[in-house]
Amino acid sequence: MLRINNDLFSEIPRQLIWAVFFLNILGLVALKSIAQHHTGLLLQNPFTKQLVFLCPAILICVLITMTPRYLIHKYAYPLYALGIILVLLPFFGSTHSGTYRWLDFGMPLSIQPSEFVKVFTILALARYLSDHNLKMRNLTVIFIPIILVFLPTFIILKQPDLGTSVIILAPLLPMLYWSGANPFHLFLLLAPILSMGTAFHSLAFAVWAIILSIVIVLSRPNRIISLIIFFGNIFLGLLSPALWNSFFTQYQRNRILTLFNPEKDPLGAAYQIIQSKTAIGSGGIFGKGWGEGTQTQLKFLPVQESDFILSVIGEELGFITIALTLLVFGYFCSQIIKSSYLSKDRFSSLALIGFATVFLSHVFVNTAMTVGLIPVKGLPFPFVSSGGSFLIACYIMLGLVLKLSVNYAD
Amino acid sequence: MLKADNVVSFRQYIFAGIFAWLIIIILIVRYFQIQVLDNDSYSIKANSNRIRKITETAPRGLILDRNGQILVDNYPTYVLTAIPWELSDKEEKFSIISDVIGLNKIKVEENYKKYYRGRFNQVRIAKDLNFTQISRLEENRIDLQGIYYEYYPERYFPSIIRGSHIFGNVKEVDREIRNSLKNKENYELGDMIGWSGIEKEYETYLKGNRGIYFYEVDALGREVGHLNDLEPQEPIPGENIITTLNLEIQNKIEKIIKDKKGVLLVSESLSGEILAAVSSPDYDPELFTGLILESTWREILDNPDKPLLNRYLQGLYPPGSIVKMITQAALMEIADFDPSTTYSCEGSYQFGDRLFGCWWHEGHGKINMSSAMMVSCDVYFYKAIQLLELDQLAGVFRNFGFGELTGIDIPGEAKGIVPDKAYMNKKHGRYNWSKGALLNICIGQGEILSTPMQVLNFINLLATRGQAMRPHFVMKENHNENLKPSISNNTWDQIIMDMALVISDENGTGKNAALNLPGISIFGKTGTAENNHGDSHAWFIGWLDNGQEKYSVVVLLENAGSGGKIAAPIAKEIFQALVIKSNKLTIN
Repeated sequence: MLRINNDLFSEIPRQLIWAVFFLNILGLVALKSIAQHHTGLLLQNPFTKQLVFLCPAILICVLITMTPRYLIHKYAYPLYALGIILVLLPFFGSTHSGTYRWLDFGMPLSIQPSEFVKVFTILALARYLSDHNLKMRNLTVIFIPIILVFLPTFIILKQPDLGTSVIILAPLLPMLYWSGANPFHLFLLLAPILSMGTAFHSLAFAVWAIILSIVIVLSRPNRIISLIIFFGNIFLGLLSPALWNSFFTQYQRNRILTLFNPEKDPLGAAYQIIQSKTAIGSGGIFGKGWGEGTQTQLKFLPVQESDFILSVIGEELGFITIALTLLVFGYFCSQIIKSSYLSKDRFSSLALIGFATVFLSHVFVNTAMTVGLIPVKGLPFPFVSSGGSFLIACYIMLGLVLKLSVNYAD
Repeated sequence: MLKADNVVSFRQYIFAGIFAWLIIIILIVRYFQIQVLDNDSYSIKANSNRIRKITETAPRGLILDRNGQILVDNYPTYVLTAIPWELSDKEEKFSIISDVIGLNKIKVEENYKKYYRGRFNQVRIAKDLNFTQISRLEENRIDLQGIYYEYYPERYFPSIIRGSHIFGNVKEVDREIRNSLKNKENYELGDMIGWSGIEKEYETYLKGNRGIYFYEVDALGREVGHLNDLEPQEPIPGENIITTLNLEIQNKIEKIIKDKKGVLLVSESLSGEILAAVSSPDYDPELFTGLILESTWREILDNPDKPLLNRYLQGLYPPGSIVKMITQAALMEIADFDPSTTYSCEGSYQFGDRLFGCWWHEGHGKINMSSAMMVSCDVYFYKAIQLLELDQLAGVFRNFGFGELTGIDIPGEAKGIVPDKAYMNKKHGRYNWSKGALLNICIGQGEILSTPMQVLNFINLLATRGQAMRPHFVMKENHNENLKPSISNNTWDQIIMDMALVISDENGTGKNAALNLPGISIFGKTGTAENNHGDSHAWFIGWLDNGQEKYSVVVLLENAGSGGKIAAPIAKEIFQALVIKSNKLTIN
């Protein structure tokens, strides 16, 4: 037993642990800066709260690395079902500032089940796709995975939590691609969304139509199908401006448009983006120094301990630290992708690429949001942001990544 | 199930790796763009974000009389301001304010809209608050986040005089006014700007500079501390202005003319310094400060005697006989007229198909120029003036400043009219007027109109033989050159001698102005100007010479009757006051 564990730990990819260690320390440094003048209780202080949550998080992570791989595989579906029930539960409770995200236990703690659902969804998906009887080249095979992913996505969208539902959706395509699905089919999945999206800009729509036709020609399906696909997409695109105008009221349209152009609404979401960009932009190459960020310390920067923690780092520690953080994360993700490629069994490989996607999506959405590349989505930065459920979920994923990276037959 | 082999190809692996790194690189590039390339503009933004600028109104300069007595002062009031982005529950806060200071909530909301100038700028929501009201607001501080008050000096008039037309008023800068200003960056909404009188003319001196303080605030608008890297600017009070006014003389003439309609002007003849000036009826200068009652305001606007009109600058009056000295000068200078020439006055004079009357209907008989001046005979001048053309007479009028601005240092002066040929042709048509116009104008009637300020300059010029400075209200070093009528000494002697006779002779029309004090000579001329608005205007102009200084006096009483009977006694009162004043000066 002891020997087995020794083997396990010697094979564990240490670089991943170092990367997480770095990110976590950086997060604590930033949180300490925010919490400098905090006088609240232990759990209201983002720094001490983070420290408190790290203990169970690391413990769970270690426990997972010691869990036999077959158990993870075996309980993938039950866990998925449990997750679905958990995200449904808050709807029967009271709203938490207008949303149904939180499960309240009557303690100072409340958990966010959606954080765990994304882990369970990846496991369920990996299990389904690793079934060796699957004929992945068939279009019909990808319907079950779509349902597996869309079910939690829709529930969470209803909470409403757009950010997390995007994250749950994100691994679908990479995992299908990884499992050998026909790239053309994946392209067909994406096509209608792109058709509708580009329809509002004539040049973009023209470019998209050309790409669409090139892809169809190159992948050579039969003539009738290609015509249906092409014109179906074009019609959908042409219809969407009309749908846009008739389906939404002026008020709703404005709400959606401010999402894409926040400067129009300097009081709402735009306020956050403007403050975030101001904090980051004023930080410069080397930052204003730890605890010296005026935007941060004077609380101009909103939700700075979670969604906008990168803005704190950008302001106080500068571009140098931001670039290092992102490079470390890029390294972290590419190491997971490498493990996934080197993995001997398909389940581990798929789960690893799923987790890599989730981490990368988190980083992309969070980072892009802080600099106004995409609209505000309430998503934290893995291992850096403060947050109870999220931190634990990240360490669960880390544990799974570490476990599945080791090609040890147990 | 775990037996299923990994089927990922190297190509898929490379593709995924490139994709992941591509995302990371896009993010790094974007951060580079914002943090390194756009660093400057965001730094500026970050600074203005955390800094709150608080301004403090500088008190306007004081207005003093020539001896340093304060005529216009400031007293402290408070204004209540709000910073919009710090106001969370506007309605509730406005309710509290309205309750505490007793101002209608609708009014508070109106002000908020009226002065709103962006989320980060102070909006004035109430003014004229006293210390008690501020203290009561301070007790409710906790409920009034985003509400501030500031010290605000307001005009008040501590002296015994009114001087309303001289000092003028200040006005609150609103959006419209601000947009019309050339130097609008110096004014904020709610600031005071000189709107008339000295307040307007000397705005740049009186205004002063707002103080600016910087506070570092957090996102909730709470002050975190003073800012060290931005120098605060203390408010710089406006400069004080020393006027030429003499408090006692001004007080005296205001009392004299109370309940009468007209103008009194007193100046030092040579320097042009105006010692006192009043246009009656006037108004309480406090009218424009603080809260004006709608009813008071209407009362003043509806008063048929127009208290707001500054009669000595904007009132246009026929000068009547007080301009006969100009006719005299014109005759002697241009026509080489011999003053000993006599004409006969039968009480009226037939010229063409018109009959021109003398004020003394019984006729003055055969008289020479000095006598004609003394008794103010009209017929004498009707006959003599025919030696001249209209334009020649008009030219001399202009030499003495009629028909031109005096350049007085109070805005809004009127120009008056000196009719010449061009004017008459334009007004009546080339063939519709006759030389009869000349006869009218030579005795100061007809088309000619002048302001009392022009008349003051005229009398100053006479008293000093053309050496007087332009009349002015504020002590200053540089004045525009006054007119220098080119008149021979001979003519000056004649005019001045005759003006002495007007007062001293027992038949002189101005004898009621005589003082009969040793060492003091009075010179003058009366006028009884007919007009279309009722009884004649009573004029007296003249000066007092005590051997050292000369003081000019202009008296005009609208529709009061004879200049000799009504205006001359008032001039006498003023001369007496001037004597007392100069005696005091010599004693001191």
